[in-house]
Amino acid sequence: MNAFLVRKEAVSAWIRRLAQKNTVYFPQRAGHSALRFKPVQEGSEVQFERYHPTLVPPGKKLAPANEVLFHYRQERPDDPEMEPAMDESPRILAGVRPCDLKGIHLMDRANHEGHGDPHYLLRRAHTTLIAHDCLQPCDDACFCDAAGSLHWRQNADVFLTPVADDLLLEIQSDRGKALVQGENFPVCPDVAAYKARAEKMRTKPFGRQFVTALTNLPGIIAKQWQSPVWEQHVERCFSCGTCNLVCPTCYCFDVHDDFEITNVHAGQRTRTWDGCMLPGFAEVAGGHNFRPQPAARQRHRVKRKFEYLTRHFAETSFCTGCGRCGRQCTANIDIFNIVNDLAKNAEVRP
Amino acid sequence: MITPGIDTNATFDKKLYLPRMARILEIKTMTAREKYFKVELPQPLGHRPGQFVMLSQLGIGEAPISISCGPRTDTILEMVIRNVGTLTQVLHGLQPGRKVGVRGPFGSGFNLADFRGRDVLFVAGGLGLAPLRSLIQPILAQPELYGSITLISGCRTPADELYREEVQTWSRLDNGQGKIRIIRLVDDTAHLTWDGEVGLVTEPLADLKMQPDNTVVALCGPPVMYKFVIMELNARGVPHNQIFVDLERRMKCGVGKCGHCQINHVTCCQEGPVFRFDLIENLPEAFR
Repeated sequence: MNAFLVRKEAVSAWIRRLAQKNTVYFPQRAGHSALRFKPVQEGSEVQFERYHPTLVPPGKKLAPANEVLFHYRQERPDDPEMEPAMDESPRILAGVRPCDLKGIHLMDRANHEGHGDPHYLLRRAHTTLIAHDCLQPCDDACFCDAAGSLHWRQNADVFLTPVADDLLLEIQSDRGKALVQGENFPVCPDVAAYKARAEKMRTKPFGRQFVTALTNLPGIIAKQWQSPVWEQHVERCFSCGTCNLVCPTCYCFDVHDDFEITNVHAGQRTRTWDGCMLPGFAEVAGGHNFRPQPAARQRHRVKRKFEYLTRHFAETSFCTGCGRCGRQCTANIDIFNIVNDLAKNAEVRP
Repeated sequence: MITPGIDTNATFDKKLYLPRMARILEIKTMTAREKYFKVELPQPLGHRPGQFVMLSQLGIGEAPISISCGPRTDTILEMVIRNVGTLTQVLHGLQPGRKVGVRGPFGSGFNLADFRGRDVLFVAGGLGLAPLRSLIQPILAQPELYGSITLISGCRTPADELYREEVQTWSRLDNGQGKIRIIRLVDDTAHLTWDGEVGLVTEPLADLKMQPDNTVVALCGPPVMYKFVIMELNARGVPHNQIFVDLERRMKCGVGKCGHCQINHVTCCQEGPVFRFDLIENLPEAFR
């Protein structure tokens, strides 16, 4: 595939041009400081510097918070009409960072397996990804390198790497190729050399590092069912579920029905984000709760990211190290510290 | 407009979450909390014993319900529904002739081959008899394929007993050979007439004549029951790979996506709800 060397302003202009004919989501300021993936419109700022992680990861555009599964009408109650609500509108997610790119890859795996989730897969099939590399950690909260997602390139249709005032623009798929069709970008003379130059610019070590290798974590965490660490970190937890909401690889949901207030014969079945940190998540009919303690729920969340799903899908980690859960936690609970303490705990034991 | 082609590697059923409508043929009150439902599906369900369906009423919601009839080639589906929430309350208020939404069948279920040629022991607690009936029926239909067949079925009081007449019919299948044995228990007679025994399901288990090496056990009941029954089966020396447990969890999708039914690293709706005990005995969340 081709690679080009394009001035940063020219890339921004290209994305604005793409937005004239497509829905393009790009991280933009919302309120005082937070960035959000919002549609690029006339006058929208498109710039790759001063990036810090968006409140909600871009992958959630593929599985929205309130998603209608189907609409129904039942004027004749025993012969309802049902229509699945499929979103086939094409979209481009631009400015996706490696951690979130890997997050989307992990969501693809989870939604593809077994009974493929039609709503996610259809949206995904109509989504093009323009990713952008990180040469500096976003802030103190991120640990993408430790979580094995800093060097993630796969599943981006176009991958951008900053090299001085230019961006190295690599085409990684036919969809990516379609995006630059008709553009007169200067071809990059020596891709390897420019990549090496960028790599040299990368901060080392990059963000927080675990005390042990990522590949050791599933084994370490599997052995610590009854660790004091679970209780220590959950002491101040409000069980608010924010960590689940902002996680790029949390995909659990609840389902509920609504009927229209003006017509009880019509309505829809909707799924909404749900989180395993919420107290009622593992409750069954009749009231028995399989995870009544916050520490048990925390353990389940951490084990899902670093042990259960990791092993099930043969991935290095289902945590991408984006740092959102720690950054957004009201009580300052950070999955990085939990995991690191578990690893330290394992070291001191024989 | 750039329209990327659909990823041909991604195969999916657009109607995965859409129920099929099934007509209610019969509703019978079984206890103060439970009703029996017989419905007619648009096509045969083709289920295995121990599987479940997602049952729904449009505008109200959807919930997992165990199938309580054995495998069948026609379009009939039988269930026992306990009135525990909004959806089940609405279902209890329906009349025959109305329709309900059905998705499924889902889950692993029991495999009759695991039981063939062996002594079979069923242990049911309360509503647990409903899913176990889907296994009891095909086994009792061909008892010659199995060794001795024992059912220990317990519930709180005589008023809570499910399938009373049918269970009594099962007792009469034996013809005095001692091959089929049905033990019915209540925790408390509650001053009602009762022709069975009084006590917990673990009590007859302790005195049961059995060849543990040749016995396969199927177990379904409330969460608290499993631990005590398995302790008793351990005491009798039943190998763990000959014990099958049917577990209950909250489920929102039935297809391994919603995350609610996860037990450590397994999902109850996919790998379960029927599990071979030796494969999950080390999962700390399985028998909490």
